Amino acid sequence: MSDARDTVAHAGWLTADKPSLPDEIPLTLKRVPSGVDEVMTEHLVVNMGPQHPSTHGVLRILVELDGEEVIACESVVGYLHRGIEKLAEHRRYSAVGTLMDRGDYVSGIHNEMAFALAAEKVADIGVPRRANWLRVLMGELNRIASHLVWYGTMGLDTGAMGQFLYAVRDREDLLDILEDVTGQRMMFNYVRPGGVLNDLTPRAEKKIRAFLSTFDAYLDEHHALLGGNEIFQARTRGIGVIDKETAIAFGLTGANLRASGVSFDVRRDRPYAAYDEMDFDIPVAESGDIYARYLVRIEEMRQAARICRQCIDGLPEGEHTAKVAKVLRPPAGEAYAAVESPRGELGVHLVSDGTDRPYRMRYRPPALFGLQAAEAITPGTFLADAVAIFGSVDVVLGEIDR
Amino acid sequence: MAIDRFTGENSILFIRSEQLFDWARRRSLWYMAFGIACCAIEGLMHASGPRFDFDRHGVFFRASPRQSDVMIVAGTVNHKMAETVKRLYDQMPEPKWVIAMGACASTGGPFREYPNVVMGVDKVVPVDVYIPGCPPRPESVQYAFLRLMDKIAENTEERLAARRDSDS
Amino acid sequence: MLPDATAIASLLERAGIVGAELSSEGGPGLVVRVERAQAGAVVQGLKDSDHAFVFLVDLFGIDTGEHVDIVYHLRSIARDEELFVKVAHEYGSDLASVWETHPAALMPERETAEMFGLTLSGHPNPKHLLLTSGSAPMLLKSVEIRTAEEVRNR
Repeated sequence: MSDARDTVAHAGWLTADKPSLPDEIPLTLKRVPSGVDEVMTEHLVVNMGPQHPSTHGVLRILVELDGEEVIACESVVGYLHRGIEKLAEHRRYSAVGTLMDRGDYVSGIHNEMAFALAAEKVADIGVPRRANWLRVLMGELNRIASHLVWYGTMGLDTGAMGQFLYAVRDREDLLDILEDVTGQRMMFNYVRPGGVLNDLTPRAEKKIRAFLSTFDAYLDEHHALLGGNEIFQARTRGIGVIDKETAIAFGLTGANLRASGVSFDVRRDRPYAAYDEMDFDIPVAESGDIYARYLVRIEEMRQAARICRQCIDGLPEGEHTAKVAKVLRPPAGEAYAAVESPRGELGVHLVSDGTDRPYRMRYRPPALFGLQAAEAITPGTFLADAVAIFGSVDVVLGEIDR
Repeated sequence: MAIDRFTGENSILFIRSEQLFDWARRRSLWYMAFGIACCAIEGLMHASGPRFDFDRHGVFFRASPRQSDVMIVAGTVNHKMAETVKRLYDQMPEPKWVIAMGACASTGGPFREYPNVVMGVDKVVPVDVYIPGCPPRPESVQYAFLRLMDKIAENTEERLAARRDSDS
Repeated sequence: MLPDATAIASLLERAGIVGAELSSEGGPGLVVRVERAQAGAVVQGLKDSDHAFVFLVDLFGIDTGEHVDIVYHLRSIARDEELFVKVAHEYGSDLASVWETHPAALMPERETAEMFGLTLSGHPNPKHLLLTSGSAPMLLKSVEIRTAEEVRNR
């Protein structure tokens, strides 16, 4: 634990109270003896982003380098801050789902679900069983889609380009299914307070079954392509280790936390929707390095497909949504609801004042805590490892900046 | 050679240099990989993917602005990002074009009421093609590139016509 | 999941915190309301106790119209319990960082301070996180968003 504190304090030279504008990068190149004869070297400040192929969005990372080794690291966010929390206070409950979609844009279903759960808690709305099963089905399909994005870009971070196209190929099939059910490829607006938008058609069901029948074989292919690659293993084994205490201290959740040995999954420990009726395993790894996070996510994709199969086979009869007023006016109150998004515990803390608009909607971004942890463990690694570390914690800037 | 089918064997082709260069330019528009937000997943990732293959139009991404022709502004631009967008635009060499992809880049999109958001990237850089949608489908982005290619061809004709008029 | 209110109350008393108000009605769970000066000690005390609230789930603010409520959402993994510590801050007052107890608070505190117009103290990197410096504290109720007129005449 003391390591984490020391690391943060060491980044002191980057933390003078200056505005974080591009022109203000401190150009203090410290001259230090290199240890070889009388040669003096300098520490170099390198700016990565916000336009950079591997920053997963508009993340800016300033690193102070001694040769290839990272001495200090600071991440600058806010390049995508669009005011989702503020705008939610000015929209009706049925319209906040469209805002939440655009937070963690790769996994829209989970964002909408977190808000819907919080609104249902505050307004005390019961959700029909079929709607819950549909939520789980769509959520797990979205989890596979999101993890495929992570898988594709993680390889890109370590220099592999082939697996990206394989991931996009499978994602296209998933987006076909999601488009069939929700009408949109990305901003679904499907999970509403009270249930879901519409029911599953036989055509969509056929597509889902077709996808699930081939996905396990494809996943083995993906895993062999990247995880079985010697270079990828050399780049990721033992690199970017986040041990258990650091993971808990930095508030990590999701695959990042489970790869460090802590078994906490919102689906099992705070069950929501129909997860208490599902039979699935939760992968946990002990080593906490990048390879562990990779393995956990691959296995999560496999388990997600398993849950989807159970959902599509056992979908109960019933309504796809409860009867909810068009303009929802919940009583005054406060509630916190969390879902297990592909990035971790995505929570919505909703405060209602009795009107038709939320009073305060707080969006707990799991990727923000992942980013903090990545920033803390990067000093001491090489620059190439820094890129891999920031990629391995699965950051999506839409969520961090909101 | 295949072109002999059109021109006949042992023929000579005349073309003005601007037309040749603009034909080459518009058939190989390389965009800067600059995804700001959600539109990046659709318009950059999926449009370049195996289904909506961008490469067949000659369009490919380059990591550096200094090597690209087109900047696709894919996502919401806010005050912090606007500086960077302008700086990247300045770093691109001429001739350069900008495509504003999505509702956010065109007019501010669903977030236009938030004071931190710039209502449209055309307040920061000159835009050539606007793509509506939230997010636009990958085919829309490809269509935007085709329209941009037409625009470049039109500009060539206009420039040549203007020169012809001023010469005569 | 909901910790025993009396157990928490006695825990706080033993740690020397007086005047804490606990309630679980109409809220997101067990809410412990303490004074601003006690906040750091309360968070540390809860972490060190045998309930072991070692996990900071979230740190954010709510503008109640009269003051800013800073909420620390804490979780005990060992006992699977959660509670919310609420601290009332006057507008423009100082937010003392708890990063040494919970390093997870580093970025959320920067964001909360800039969004609600509080100053951040005891923090290694108190810069703005999301907004450019010179922006208004956006999440205060007194700060308006653009009107329909402004948007139409962009």
